[in-house]
Amino acid sequence: MRLRPDAQDIFAGVMFIAFAGVMLYLNFESHPIGTARRMGSGYMPMLTFGILAALGVAILVSGLFTGPEPIGRFAWRDMGLILLALTVYGLTVERLGFVVSLALCIGIASVAEKVWKPLRVFGLIAFMLALCWVLFIWYLDIRIPVFPWSR
Amino acid sequence: MLENLIYGFTVAATFQNLSACFIGALLGTAIGVLPGIGPVATISLLLPLTFGMPPTTAIIMLAGIYYGAQYGGSTTSILMNLPGEVSSVITTLDGYQMAKNGQAGPALAVAAIGSFIAGCTATILVAALGPMLTAVALSFGPADYFSLMLLGLIVSAVLSEGNVVKSIAMMVAGVGLGLVGTDVQTGQQRFTFDIPELSDGIGFAPMAMGMFGIAEIIRNLEMPEVRAALKTKISRLWLTKEEWKRVAAPIARGTTLGSIVGILPGGGAALSSMGAYTLERRISRNKHLFGKGAIEGVAAPESANNAAAQTSFIPLLTLGIPANAVMALMVGALIIQGIQPGPRMIEAQPDLFWGLIASMWIGNLMLVIINLPMIGMWVRLLKVPYDLMYPAILIFCAIGVYSLNNNSFDVYVTVVFGFLGYLFSKIGCPPAPMLIGFVLGPMMEEHLRRAMLLSRGNPMVFLERPISATLLALAVIAVVAMALPSIRKSKDEALAGG
Repeated sequence: MRLRPDAQDIFAGVMFIAFAGVMLYLNFESHPIGTARRMGSGYMPMLTFGILAALGVAILVSGLFTGPEPIGRFAWRDMGLILLALTVYGLTVERLGFVVSLALCIGIASVAEKVWKPLRVFGLIAFMLALCWVLFIWYLDIRIPVFPWSR
Repeated sequence: MLENLIYGFTVAATFQNLSACFIGALLGTAIGVLPGIGPVATISLLLPLTFGMPPTTAIIMLAGIYYGAQYGGSTTSILMNLPGEVSSVITTLDGYQMAKNGQAGPALAVAAIGSFIAGCTATILVAALGPMLTAVALSFGPADYFSLMLLGLIVSAVLSEGNVVKSIAMMVAGVGLGLVGTDVQTGQQRFTFDIPELSDGIGFAPMAMGMFGIAEIIRNLEMPEVRAALKTKISRLWLTKEEWKRVAAPIARGTTLGSIVGILPGGGAALSSMGAYTLERRISRNKHLFGKGAIEGVAAPESANNAAAQTSFIPLLTLGIPANAVMALMVGALIIQGIQPGPRMIEAQPDLFWGLIASMWIGNLMLVIINLPMIGMWVRLLKVPYDLMYPAILIFCAIGVYSLNNNSFDVYVTVVFGFLGYLFSKIGCPPAPMLIGFVLGPMMEEHLRRAMLLSRGNPMVFLERPISATLLALAVIAVVAMALPSIRKSKDEALAGG
């Protein structure tokens, strides 16, 4: 067989092996394995991650011959902005309240759009504030600080 | 059975449950109609809405969301050729062609009518088979359960799209993630890194929302066609007499096939609509029209996927085993409600079981009522540009996840799984098996422990018990069958769209 590396499979194989390896190490460090009859807390993790490591090796090895399958371009900018918007919401909602963190979250996420149109974004923030207020605060009554000064 | 069904209708017909079913179907359609968002993403996005409700109401609402999402997905497939998941890929084949020929109305109508007829039939099947299977399930020992779950996991991994080994690895990784948290037997903290929030395990809803909802938003942002606005006009929303004649038999065949496939582990909407379409294309009198806008090619797969959507509840309600990712979400929702799905549920929670069955029927009726007159509204929703749509979906996610436990930690878990979900899509690893593994992992560990304790550490117990041995043999057959090149090829072709 000729070597034809498949980037997707190789990456996936390495990922599974690394994940399983770290978990197996942690498992042997801190959890008793026990016996098959009386399993300790480390028995099932040992089985699971052992199998995962073996599967990872299988994917990696077969990936050397099944290619080429390149990994598609990563939309780092879009992904970064969406995940950042969500993280900022999590960081600010308790301290600054729902109104501010909603505006921040939508504001950051909207930058992922190629052309940033301020009027559209502010309009959307105003509309979503009204909608979420009615739905979550008034109707579903979720416990969430609303303004920076409300605790 | 009749007595039980009447009891079910009295449960489902309370104002609270009826409105839950209605709102669920409405919201499910509204989110499911958005391009690129399939039922799994829709249910994960809407899951937090149900947490404050009593269990029966919550599961009724989730079922409504599921049917709505599936129907919404068909609408987008027919009008815009943008399927949200594998099962609606089949609908695009002839549905979009019909819309291009100016027949969007009849295509949407036959999808709704076919789904309704199929749903009603399959609901009766669930009511009849449920209690029977439960009786069988009660004779299962821990070893049998373990083998059954293993079979379910393997079959669903084998049938999912793409590379089988990767699917199985994702499933095992999911089982591994399910181990995080406090070990039930010993009380020991496993893989929690001293983070108090992790002692209850990784949150199911943040994981599902991140991997399906958030990752989906990022993926859609890089696909320009999702932003394309809709241009089709909708004509008459009903069928002519001649069309009725053409679709009657395909609906009946689709319903039968879908009902059977839905019960199988790993079966469900995708497989059933593929099967129904292939069957119809082979035996229909209008073979030559398939792919060019044959109404039969919409009627059969739409009926089949709705029938399968109902009957895939059977393994969940009787055995507590999810057959696909949607049912894994249902298990997750039930566990959050404090209910362990399984054979004892019919007796312990009769209102939940029979109420759900009655709601299935009501939900199907509502879908027809919601969808045919309101199709204009959904079409308008499709015209909302994506740059206004995705921040709105994102903020719903953020608020929903935070309100699970009023804890920002869940939001961060969603961020991590959003990243992972996007990464997985780039390296060809399907996320659905991971979710199923995650849900089944803790149950499998418990049954494995019990089985081995009873057998005094002898693993032969899995081969000595006839039920368990049969199930394991089936699992081996499934793996071997997929290793055969000819079968694998036909599966890939079918999944690639008939």
